[in-house]
Amino acid sequence: MYENRMVGDKTIDQIKLLLPAFIPVLILSVFPLLRGIFLGFTDYTLGTEANFNGIENYVYMMQDSYFWQSFKVGFLWTIAVTGGQVLLGLGLALLLNGKILFRSWARVLVLIPWAMPPVIRGIMWKFMYHPDTGAINYFLMKLNIIDQPIDFLFSFDYVLPSIIIVGIWGGLPQAAITILAGLQSISEDLYEAGSLDGTSKLQAFRYITLPLLAPIITAITILRFIWNFNSFGLVYVLTQGGPAGLTRIPSLLAYEEGFRYGNLGYAAALGNVMVLVVAVFMFVYLRNRMKNY
Amino acid sequence: MRKVLSMMVFLSLLFGLLAAGVVSAEEPVKLKFVSLAWQKQSIEANKEIVKEWNEEHPGVQVEYIQGTWGSIYDYMITAFETETVPDVFHFESAEIVGFAQKGYLTDLSKYMSDDLKNDIVEEAWKTTKTNGEGVYGVPFLWESQITLYNKDLFKEAGIQPATPADPWSWGELREAAVRLTKDTNGDGNIDQWGAGLGLKSPAKKFLRLSVGFGGKFFEKNDSGNYVVKVNQPEKRLMIHHKAMLYDEKTAPISGIGQSGSSMIPGFLAGKYAMIPNVGVWARQQVVVNASDDFNWGVIPPIKADTQDQGVGTQTLSIPSDSKNKPEAMQFIEFFLSTKNMARLAKGDWMLPTRKSTMELPEFTNAGNGWDVALKSAENLIAGPWQSIPGFTEWKNRVGNPIFQLYLKDEIDLKRASEQLERDGNRVLERYYD
Amino acid sequence: MNSRNIIGSILRHFLLLLYLLFLAFPLFWMFSISLKPISEIRSLVPTMFPKKIVFQHYINAFQEQQIFESVLNSTKVGLIAAVGVIVIAVPAAYALGRYRTKLNKGVIGWVLVSQLFPAILIIIPLFLILKSLGMIDSHLGLSLLYIVWTLPFVLMMLQGYVQGIPIELEEAAAVDGASRFQIIWRIVLPLLLPGISATALFAFISAWNEFFFALVLIKSPELLTLPVKLARFTGMEGVVRLGPLAAASFIATIPALILFGFLQKWLVSGLTKGAVKY
Repeated sequence: MYENRMVGDKTIDQIKLLLPAFIPVLILSVFPLLRGIFLGFTDYTLGTEANFNGIENYVYMMQDSYFWQSFKVGFLWTIAVTGGQVLLGLGLALLLNGKILFRSWARVLVLIPWAMPPVIRGIMWKFMYHPDTGAINYFLMKLNIIDQPIDFLFSFDYVLPSIIIVGIWGGLPQAAITILAGLQSISEDLYEAGSLDGTSKLQAFRYITLPLLAPIITAITILRFIWNFNSFGLVYVLTQGGPAGLTRIPSLLAYEEGFRYGNLGYAAALGNVMVLVVAVFMFVYLRNRMKNY
Repeated sequence: MRKVLSMMVFLSLLFGLLAAGVVSAEEPVKLKFVSLAWQKQSIEANKEIVKEWNEEHPGVQVEYIQGTWGSIYDYMITAFETETVPDVFHFESAEIVGFAQKGYLTDLSKYMSDDLKNDIVEEAWKTTKTNGEGVYGVPFLWESQITLYNKDLFKEAGIQPATPADPWSWGELREAAVRLTKDTNGDGNIDQWGAGLGLKSPAKKFLRLSVGFGGKFFEKNDSGNYVVKVNQPEKRLMIHHKAMLYDEKTAPISGIGQSGSSMIPGFLAGKYAMIPNVGVWARQQVVVNASDDFNWGVIPPIKADTQDQGVGTQTLSIPSDSKNKPEAMQFIEFFLSTKNMARLAKGDWMLPTRKSTMELPEFTNAGNGWDVALKSAENLIAGPWQSIPGFTEWKNRVGNPIFQLYLKDEIDLKRASEQLERDGNRVLERYYD
Repeated sequence: MNSRNIIGSILRHFLLLLYLLFLAFPLFWMFSISLKPISEIRSLVPTMFPKKIVFQHYINAFQEQQIFESVLNSTKVGLIAAVGVIVIAVPAAYALGRYRTKLNKGVIGWVLVSQLFPAILIIIPLFLILKSLGMIDSHLGLSLLYIVWTLPFVLMMLQGYVQGIPIELEEAAAVDGASRFQIIWRIVLPLLLPGISATALFAFISAWNEFFFALVLIKSPELLTLPVKLARFTGMEGVVRLGPLAAASFIATIPALILFGFLQKWLVSGLTKGAVKY
């Protein structure tokens, strides 16, 4: 009898159990997403009706200097932050995997940025960069590297590097821990076999560790790229996109258009273009992951 | 561990259910009032007045809600859209004109008493009217741009500060700044600057001060739409600033990233001998933070062709969706009575708009530069940018960035003017269909 | 050879120290500012440690700045979200963990896709939907959103726990004639409790930390959640505000920090699973 129930109406049973989760997801996730994509092809503004206007938004976008500036900054930001997170994360993972004192303590401390709400991460670094009370100006002046405090988050030259550092800082722990997990899953036997053959540590890293880590590194690079490209809160708190739009990454531009100036249709259109960018990476990532299912 | 976790789940379930429960009770008329007061004294004054109202009017209870300048625009836009509006909100004239044009605000002229109408200065009223029809906000606080100076450093350099009777021209201001700029310890770096120019959000400041040169920045074209125009009168203030920053080097470039009020610690430390063209409210920062032996004074508005300054006002408005308009207006009348407006103005160190308030002895006799500040109210005229649709977007996306690029010497005057016009018109066009 | 090892070890520790400084110092700095008297914050030369420790900013933050109100708001939203998501996710996780049908692929696919879309695209229609439901500027609306938003990850985590429960127990119960519902309620749920707690915690912290949806949906100052409140705070001018801002921000990190430390071990292993497996 039990066998029957388990095999017989499997799908029906499953649907019943999934239903409570399915309905809210449908209403608050699937439908909005499809509708959002559609709104990107309308002239919808706050307080009016949405009219389908074909590709008008995208024609406007092509001439919109804010759009070009924003996506340029967005790519710079995403590439630099993703690269930093993965490379520094790899370094940290290797250190944490090695023989060190207070290893478990270090592993906890390292997680600090991760635990913070993104807004607090931004606020913390505002304190770090502050021209009067900031630690960074304090150290740079103490070391006689500069003689006037720099307002990093308002300086045309320094603002982008400054927020990139914060971006790396925030995502580094998670990247490191994921890579660490990958490192730990590599069997010791492989290294022992290697050392019998007389390979050096460097060679072991190059020929054993890296190839085995490659799938994980690829996965987090893609994921991080997408997340960083979509990120909002951190930059919003640090600079609100300023000065002069130098840090106005795409999600900030879309937010501004939609919720400050009321151009919701255009904001959705910007969202669609962001999706297009992300879609390429998403495709690669999903293909890799779905293989396991 | 497992036990602790299970407890947590249980507790969270419990609290969740409690939190989800809704408590309701019958109430008298309830008004929601969003205030943007942010200085401590001013918040206190606001709350006290609300409390007094509530004691005197048991049938109409006002709830004080603390808003912030940075978020009020987003808040109100959403509130209008979702019809969950406060009954009275505090904002500024340049912004509410846009709201009024979209039909979000109540025309107050039919609710308002003659006393209030006649007692508030005409120039202040002008800031809250759209094309002369309807009044969409009661202007209650405004500010002129004055210059703070360090008396000791002036004495040391032998400079006589300007007075209301004998104001400084821009040339005189620049000259004084040159004499006050010094390398006191001889290490080759300037450590006493003549002027601390805080230019973080230059657009509004430039629009205000350019009025004295006859600069307007916005003009109506043939079809009656506003366009941006940057001609000679608009350029003169820009040129003065650049000369101080780069030719005469009397103001540090770091000030481009700082707000006027964040220059105050440097002013108190003697790093800047003057803080030119800050709002009168900045005096509060000096009074609160200065040590007893710090001697400072106020220089009246700098004279361009005239001493005129364009101005916006802080306002109280009632959304069209408010269900208690007469009560809301009564509250505004109470809140802005002669005496209460004095408390608000003192709390924020701003200028009141009621003539009867300006005449109160507590202003005319007070120290801390109130005499010069009050006198400067005569120079205030409603800013020409007040009734322009899309002004906010222009200010944020075009005005501030391009003025900054110019001040940072990234672009020259010609390029800045062109961009102000080109990018500016592109923004304004979106508001005309 | 030996001395080379020692040098290598010193180098490794030195590098790790740099990492730790980079990662942990900002928190220390903010904490330090939150304890300095105003005069010390205002002085043009900052100090590393407060010369004099005062708790005035913490008191200020709570008294004047309505931080407490926001803490309550955030707690409320987080709790509703955590409870809500568990209620709908447990049956779903069971369905995904115990059965293998074509649906699984579809569900997992959706879960992954939804995480990768820019929030801006989804928030505009959501804004409209919640508006028509009268749930803009409401904690309930925001909580609903968090339920849906944390669901993917919660589902992933819970499904793993379901699979960790030996199926033999259920089979034995079925032989005794228990219904499907009884099996889930009596056998699976109790065994799932530790997993549920951990997951609820995750959901709570996600809601507590979330900024973007709250920024768009909650507008009334008295309803703001803590992150939005603090972000507003930073826009204000004046050095005077820095102390209370630091204090309030530090308070905002406490729940996450405590719970994080508490569950550090578990989270690391859980994520390890997630990263390698899914």
